[in-house]
Amino acid sequence: MGAVTDGGIPRIGIMESKDEVIRKRLLIDGDGAGDDRRINLLVKSFIKWCNSGSQEEGYSQYQRMLSTLSQCEFSMGKTLLVYDMNLREMENYEKIYKEIECSIAGAHEKIAECKKQILQAKRIRKNRQEYDALAKVIQHHPDRHETLKELEALGKELEHLSHIKESVEDKLELRRKQFHVLLSTIHELQQTLENDEKLSEVEEAQETSMEADPKP
Amino acid sequence: MTIFSQSVSPCGKFLAAGNNYGQIAVFSLSAALSSEAKEESKKPVVTFQAHDGPVYSMVSTDRHLLSAGDGEVKAWLWAEILKKGCKELWRRQPPYRTSLEVPEINALLLVPKENSLILAGGDCQLHAMDLETGAFTRALRGHTDYIHCLALRERSPEVLSGGEDGAVRLWDLRTAKEVQTIEVYKHEECSRPHNGRWIGCLATDSDWMVCGGGPALTLWHLRSSTPTTIFPMRAPQKHVTFYQDLILSAGQGRCVNQWQLSGELKAQVPGSSPGLLSLSLNQQPAAPECKVLTAAGNSCRVDVFTNLGYRAFSLSF
Repeated sequence: MGAVTDGGIPRIGIMESKDEVIRKRLLIDGDGAGDDRRINLLVKSFIKWCNSGSQEEGYSQYQRMLSTLSQCEFSMGKTLLVYDMNLREMENYEKIYKEIECSIAGAHEKIAECKKQILQAKRIRKNRQEYDALAKVIQHHPDRHETLKELEALGKELEHLSHIKESVEDKLELRRKQFHVLLSTIHELQQTLENDEKLSEVEEAQETSMEADPKP
Repeated sequence: MTIFSQSVSPCGKFLAAGNNYGQIAVFSLSAALSSEAKEESKKPVVTFQAHDGPVYSMVSTDRHLLSAGDGEVKAWLWAEILKKGCKELWRRQPPYRTSLEVPEINALLLVPKENSLILAGGDCQLHAMDLETGAFTRALRGHTDYIHCLALRERSPEVLSGGEDGAVRLWDLRTAKEVQTIEVYKHEECSRPHNGRWIGCLATDSDWMVCGGGPALTLWHLRSSTPTTIFPMRAPQKHVTFYQDLILSAGQGRCVNQWQLSGELKAQVPGSSPGLLSLSLNQQPAAPECKVLTAAGNSCRVDVFTNLGYRAFSLSF
C-alpha cells in the first residue's frame, strides 16, 4: 500500500492525467472510510504519543494506536484475500474460455458431419424417388406370370386348332381321292358303254349291208 | 436486353454473362457476396464486345472461356479477361456445308475425357472439335431441324442433343453414330401440340434425363426410353438441371422451380426477370463461399440465390 499522500494526491506518475490520477486514487481508497486516512491518523497519533507526557494518556493513546494498527492489518489481510480470489477467478475464466473454444470446434465438426449426412440422405431420397418412378411405370405393364400363362394357353389353343386343321385336311384329301376314283370309274364305264354301243352299231350296219347284198 | 448464357470461372469467383448484343460482362461474385458489398460490386468488373451477334452459349475450361453465337466459337483466357482491351485467344468456325448463311451455334458442350468441344446449332449437325489441335474431328448428322441444347452422359460417354424437330438423340462419341432416339412429341402423356414439339432444354444424370420445351417437362428413364414423371408446369421451360436430389428448371415465367423426382413442386422462387433463359450453379471447389445459383433471362439482371429459398440480390449488366 505504498501510496504516500502528498497534499492528498498520490505521486504515481508525472504523465498521467487528472482523470487517471483520480481513478487510481478511488481504486486505492475504494471503500471510502479510508485506509489511507487511518494510516495518516496512526502516524500522527504516533508522533503525538511520542511527544505526550503523562502515563495514562500515553497508555490510552498507545492502546488506541494498537487498535488502529490491527484495523489496518485486518483490512490489508482482507485485500490480500480479495486479490487471491481475483486470481483464482481469472484462472476459472481461462478454463471456461478454453472449454468453450473446444465445444465450438466440436460443434463445427458436428456441423460438417451433419452436412455430409444431409448429402447422403438426399442421395438416398433421390434413389428412392427414382425407384418409385420406375415402379409406377412397371405397374402399368401387366404381371409377367399372367402374361406367360396367357401365352401358354394361347399356344395350346393354337396347337389344338392346328391338329384339327390337319385332320380336316386329311379327311378332305381322302374324300377328294375317293371322288376322283369314283369319277374315273364312271368315265371308264361310260367309255366302255359307248364303245359297246359303237361296236353293236357297227355290227348292225354290217348285218344290214350283208342282207342288202344279193346272194351270189 | 436478353442475357442468353452464363459461365463461372474456374476459380469460382467470377461469373461471365453473354447478352444479345454480343457483349460479355464479367462480374466478381466474391466482391458481390462479401459483407462489404456496395452497389458498384453488383456491376460488371469489365464488359467487352465479344461477338457480332448474340452470345448464345458459353462454357469454361480450366483456363479458358469459350463463347459462341454467330457461327463462330471464340476462346478467351480467364487470366486476361479482366484487363481492358482483352483479345480473343483464337476463333474457329466449324465446316458448314453452305457458305452463304452462317448458322448460329446454340449450344456448347465440353467433353473433358476427350478434351474436346461439341458445338451444335442451326445447321442441324453436332460438330466435335479437339481443343488441343483446334481441328474439327466429327460431324454427327441426324437431326432434321436445328439443335437447341446438348447434355453429356458421363458413364457411357454419350452426348444427348435436343432440337426443334422434337427428338432427343443420343450419340456415341467413339463410333460417331446415333445410338438412341426418343421422339418426345409422339408420347401422349407429355406432348402438348399447341406448344409445338421443340425440345428447349436437356439435362441428364446418366440413367435419367429431363427434357422440356414444347412438350411438358418430363423425366425419362433412358434405358427403357419411358417417360416416368411429368412435371405439371404449363409454361415451356428453357433450362433444366439436376442438383442433389432436386431438379431445377426455369423458363417462361419469373420463377425458378424446384421439383422432386416424384413430380412434386417443392418450391417456386421468383426472380426479377419476366422470363428466364439460363441457370448456373457455381459448384467450383476452389470457392465454396461463392456457391450460389444464378439465373438470367429477358432482362439485364442476373439474379443471385445464395440459398435456394429466396433471391438474395441481382447483378446488373
